[in-house]
Amino acid sequence: MRFRSTLALLCALAMVACASVLGLKRTDPSRPFEHRQHVLHGVACTECHAGIATSTHDSPMHEPTTKECKSCHQKPHDNHECKNCHGESSTRQEAELIHSQLRFDHQKHMARVHGDCARCHEGASAKSASTLEPAMATCFGCHEHQNEWNVRNCNGCHVNIAAEETPPESHIVHDGDFIREHGVQAASESQLCATCHDDRSCAKCHGVTVPTLPWKLGVGGPPQTTGLHLSGFRSRHSLEARAQPGLCQSCHAENFCVQCHTTLGVGAASPKSRNPHPPGWITASGGQHGMDARVDPMSCAGCHSGAGEQLCIGCHRVGGSGGSPHGPGFNSTKNKTRELPCRLCHGGT
Amino acid sequence: MGCKRLATRACVGASSLFFAIYAHAEPTATLRLDTLVDTQRGGGVIVIETDMNTHSWASAEALVWTGGSTTTGISADALAFSVRMREPHGFGELRIGRFLFASGAILPVQIDGASAMARAPWGTKVELVAGVPVTALASSAPPIEVPGIAWLIGGRVSQLIASRMTMGVSYMQRREGEEVADEEAGADLSAAPTRWLDLAAHAAYDITSPGLSDAVASAAVRVGELRFEAFALARSPSRLLPATSLFSVFGDFPTQSVGGSVHWKAAPRLDLWLVGAGQTVGGVYGGNASARAFLKLDDRGAGGIGLELRRQDVSTARWTGIRATATKPLLKTLRCGVELELVIPDDSSKGVAWPWVLGSLAWRPSTRWEIAGAIETASTPQHEFELNALARLSLFLGAK
Repeated sequence: MRFRSTLALLCALAMVACASVLGLKRTDPSRPFEHRQHVLHGVACTECHAGIATSTHDSPMHEPTTKECKSCHQKPHDNHECKNCHGESSTRQEAELIHSQLRFDHQKHMARVHGDCARCHEGASAKSASTLEPAMATCFGCHEHQNEWNVRNCNGCHVNIAAEETPPESHIVHDGDFIREHGVQAASESQLCATCHDDRSCAKCHGVTVPTLPWKLGVGGPPQTTGLHLSGFRSRHSLEARAQPGLCQSCHAENFCVQCHTTLGVGAASPKSRNPHPPGWITASGGQHGMDARVDPMSCAGCHSGAGEQLCIGCHRVGGSGGSPHGPGFNSTKNKTRELPCRLCHGGT
Repeated sequence: MGCKRLATRACVGASSLFFAIYAHAEPTATLRLDTLVDTQRGGGVIVIETDMNTHSWASAEALVWTGGSTTTGISADALAFSVRMREPHGFGELRIGRFLFASGAILPVQIDGASAMARAPWGTKVELVAGVPVTALASSAPPIEVPGIAWLIGGRVSQLIASRMTMGVSYMQRREGEEVADEEAGADLSAAPTRWLDLAAHAAYDITSPGLSDAVASAAVRVGELRFEAFALARSPSRLLPATSLFSVFGDFPTQSVGGSVHWKAAPRLDLWLVGAGQTVGGVYGGNASARAFLKLDDRGAGGIGLELRRQDVSTARWTGIRATATKPLLKTLRCGVELELVIPDDSSKGVAWPWVLGSLAWRPSTRWEIAGAIETASTPQHEFELNALARLSLFLGAK
């Protein structure tokens, strides 16, 4: 009986502990501000947020101070700043960000909504709202911005969307297998990506001369959950390339691999080159190299591109001992005796 | 040589234009500098990125690096260096300099050149690009023959439909002197018909060696804290290479994948992912699967624990891997991290297992700069034991 009680107690304790770890239980002493209670007691918003009815985009923030709270709450339960517990710091940070990043004029809106703040700030009338920022859909309830949306002209309201750090909630999300997904999503909506990301974001990975593995520049930084080149990528890069032939070429040019391979002594042009190929790679009847080259030609190009192509031409030129290297399904619109690379084998030189 | 001269002129032209605009403006500018020292390379790299917004209609950005090692010597390059001018109402945009043109189904390409874009209020968009493709600084494998200056032109026309869907067609032609090195056409589509459904697809067609070079489709559904995605992709590796490469003549040996993923936000701080796909690589069937979990140690995600299991089983790429990460702020300004990866290849000829461990410490005394150090140790297919030290100094500056 005692064992069961102990076990039940331990389970309960474990659940409580996990609730905090998983974020199910709040650890921050602050809580959302009691806007609803104030409204129910007939306190008008403008009594605390004085001057809001005449404020413009350039006006200072209108956050009530402890002094203003004490004008009604004359006997507060302690002497700390009210905002330490009443109202969340994240809500205040959100308000500061909006104030600096949105062109918004309360003066014009207050007259239109006849002082009904909750018409836009729906959270103010909710029991426990952690955000008071109106959704953009709320703005579109009155404002027609179809033309601006069509030409992605956000400057009328947004100062700098990238600085707002507001990731999209629904479309083009970043929470799936984003490295795989981003390409297909960016194909149609690159301008949408450009709302927050600049050319540098793309060039850091897709640039021809990326100086180092991207994770190395983020060493010691926040935890990285996704990324193609994370952790021990250098060890497994050949396996990754073979598993998805063509994937490397999505970002890297044909000769991207050569410099590294040469330095490490696995490039065809390296003076200290050692043969990385398995036994049976090239035999009198062909060997394994033909099939592997067809499936993953980038792996060959990684060491043998440019002048290294002569290695293939030596055997596979017309009349050579290697025969035709073209696989089933090969066709080309090129003139085979005049254009590259056809003329290297078919040109007779 | 001609390409380099043209690129230099483009950069000088873009710089002159930008500074002419800058002289008449009150700019907003940011700068980030990262210095990385890496004992494995026996050298280091300095990366500088900066952007400037001079007016609401003009901005410029640059991402440059310099670095070297005992084996490769010193080199430097610009990954991005561009000036962008917009029509104030969003109807058009002009970009000049070095940048990455990524639009539509055609492969992203880094160029020295210009791109222009025009948008109509009814949702039609036209993009044009022309320039010289950027090539590697100094390749140890020079081309067999240089047929002339490489250059490309391309563009995309797209239409926004009911604010919910975008469809586009694109075209790119790359030439080396008189010869067509690549010619590609593509179509793309993305749609968000409801708040819970995302659809996206694109396909590129190689005109030089007629056939599908790259096609991807993805459909994602969001239900509460769950997100399901189904995807399919097909690639023809030989068609993704420049058509002047000898390795582009092997024929159509496509790789295809069909799979799905699930992301579940199981608790406010706990995320779980499952990804799986069936594959064919050159007619050989296989697949891959991974499971990943990440637990934030605080609401802001400054610290976290991650675990990932992965299995790849296709063609000659067969391996099982596990990756674990832990990051924790020790003090307000100090953060430590540990990362571990263990790869067990099915083919043990290059080692039974490839473990990799990294321990890092980062100190951020202010929002302006950060110092980080790390020790990396591994057993790789190349070396039984490797020990590497990394040090990074980052500086962030922003001014209005």
